Amino acid sequence: MSRSFVTLRSLEGFKFYGRKTIVHNLDPRAKALFITTVFVVSLLFTNLYVLLGLLIVHVPFLLAAGVLRRWVYSIRAGALLAGIIFFANLLTGSGVLPALALTVRFLVLLTTFSLFFMTTSPDDLGLALDRVGLVRWLSRRWLGFPNALSFTFTTAVRLVPTLAVDAQTVIDAQRSRGLELDKGNILRRIRNYVPILIPLLLVAIRRSLELAEALEARGFPGREDRTSLYELRFKASDYLLVLGSSTVLAVSMWIFVIHPVLRLPF
Amino acid sequence: MDPSKTPKTILEARNLGFQYEGAEARALRGVNFGVERGEFVLLAGPSGCGKTTLCRCLNGLIPHFYPGVQEGEILVDGSNVTSMPTSEVSRKVGYVFQNPENQLFALTVEKDVAFGPENLGLPRSEIRERVDWAMGITGTTELKNLAPYELSGGQQQRVALAGILAMKPSVVVMDEPTSFLDPVTAEEVMKAVDDLRLEHGITVIVVEHRLDLVSRYADRIIVMDSGKVVADGTVQDVLDGQFDQLTGLGVGVPRVSQLWAMLKRDGLVSGQTPKVVEAAAEKLGGKLST
Ligand SMILES: Nc1ncnc2c1ncn2[C@@H]1O[C@H](COP(=O)(O)OP(=O)(O)OP(=O)(O)O)[C@@H](O)[C@H]1O
Ligand SMILES: [Mg+2]
Repeated sequence: MSRSFVTLRSLEGFKFYGRKTIVHNLDPRAKALFITTVFVVSLLFTNLYVLLGLLIVHVPFLLAAGVLRRWVYSIRAGALLAGIIFFANLLTGSGVLPALALTVRFLVLLTTFSLFFMTTSPDDLGLALDRVGLVRWLSRRWLGFPNALSFTFTTAVRLVPTLAVDAQTVIDAQRSRGLELDKGNILRRIRNYVPILIPLLLVAIRRSLELAEALEARGFPGREDRTSLYELRFKASDYLLVLGSSTVLAVSMWIFVIHPVLRLPF
Repeated sequence: MDPSKTPKTILEARNLGFQYEGAEARALRGVNFGVERGEFVLLAGPSGCGKTTLCRCLNGLIPHFYPGVQEGEILVDGSNVTSMPTSEVSRKVGYVFQNPENQLFALTVEKDVAFGPENLGLPRSEIRERVDWAMGITGTTELKNLAPYELSGGQQQRVALAGILAMKPSVVVMDEPTSFLDPVTAEEVMKAVDDLRLEHGITVIVVEHRLDLVSRYADRIIVMDSGKVVADGTVQDVLDGQFDQLTGLGVGVPRVSQLWAMLKRDGLVSGQTPKVVEAAAEKLGGKLST
């Protein structure tokens, strides 16, 4: 019981909470460029100070978004993996500093994704996806219409809480019939979940059929030039973030190519 | 077209029949009826008699979503919807389903109500207008920033209704819209539907087992059995004329009408069967005081 509580807690570090801070209001496209920059820079340089710098860059964002506490959950969730990375590198003889640098790199990536998902509303993300030509093209190729992928994404997010309630209902029902989930060895425990998964699957299939029917009744998928009530618009802060990120990205690449010396670790 | 007829009748089923693919028998056979603009029609009948099938025909889910053999035709606003794609029909006939949870798609109420108009590709200003209007008349404006799972069943059903209304259909079909709700909430939803019809001239067709809940609002009742219409008229006339047939079919006639029928059998009362408590109280009051 307590164990599953901890795992849920760590997911909090990646879950969106509807708030209205300057970070939440940033355009997802600008934020995507920001994490791309962090991603690329952290991979280009294995320098502990650069990586620590990248980590520190996130602090003002975490503070402004008011998600510092929830970020700790995501770090806690990644702590085990971070420890493994550190000791594995130490044992393979790369020395303390490089091992530390690689660990920090992992934390940087964890932090930047956690920040993105904690502060980007899935709705906005869907809208942003809808604006990306490649996504629309792939979506039409695979699924028949241009906004299928973004719709799938937002609907999946919308259904998570509903399915979580379904799961709880099934678990309660099966428990009341004497099913014991936390008994036996690992294999046995996995087997215990079969009577939960099958009814849950049936419930989900039924739900999806009803959803499909209701979609028809709402004129889905609609026209090629489907409109939307809200529109993403770049604000001053978005331009600022894009400018900052692209500058850092360009400079880092320039350094990486022109001055290989700086590339040397430590 | 006959100009004296077209404006009144909004929906007409002509000799409608349907057999689901792979089914033994036809789910609908020779269904005929017409509905006037602004009418509140109650559709009743025993389980399996074809009410849901009829609703599916009305909004084009049959034959597009459910394959099978269809006969006859349905005219909405003068045009035949049996040959139109569902997405087109959805602008004429709105469909509110039984389970409110499974008809909400967006992450907030406001965006959900906007979903239909967005699919229609309407300009943003018009979507805004329709969303505000639909949320206003269903009393969901103050819920607009909530997620579907944060709403009660009754609220969800009103949001679903708003989402349908935002498409501006001429007819709204509701298939047992209150069966997932408690009696008080169900009453609230039906009241909201009645307001629509009275204030906005929207035609409503509601499938409901519990006549108690709707007899107060409905102008008319269509009773089905084994895929056929077996009674059609004002709620009053059908209760008066075909009471025994209704109870025989297991249609949940209003309790007050049941009481009246019992008293009548004992020769204690006479005359029209009341369909709501107030009417009965008035009649009985007159009796008791003399
Ligand atoms: N998808 C389907 N495929 C095959 N047969 C179906 C399907 N849906 C309904 N039927 C059959 O069609 C007939 C009419 O069913 P329908 O669902 O229209 O009844 P209903 O009046 O809505 O009943 P209820 O009051 O239980 O909702 C039934 O005999 C039913 O078994
Ligand atoms: Mg039904």
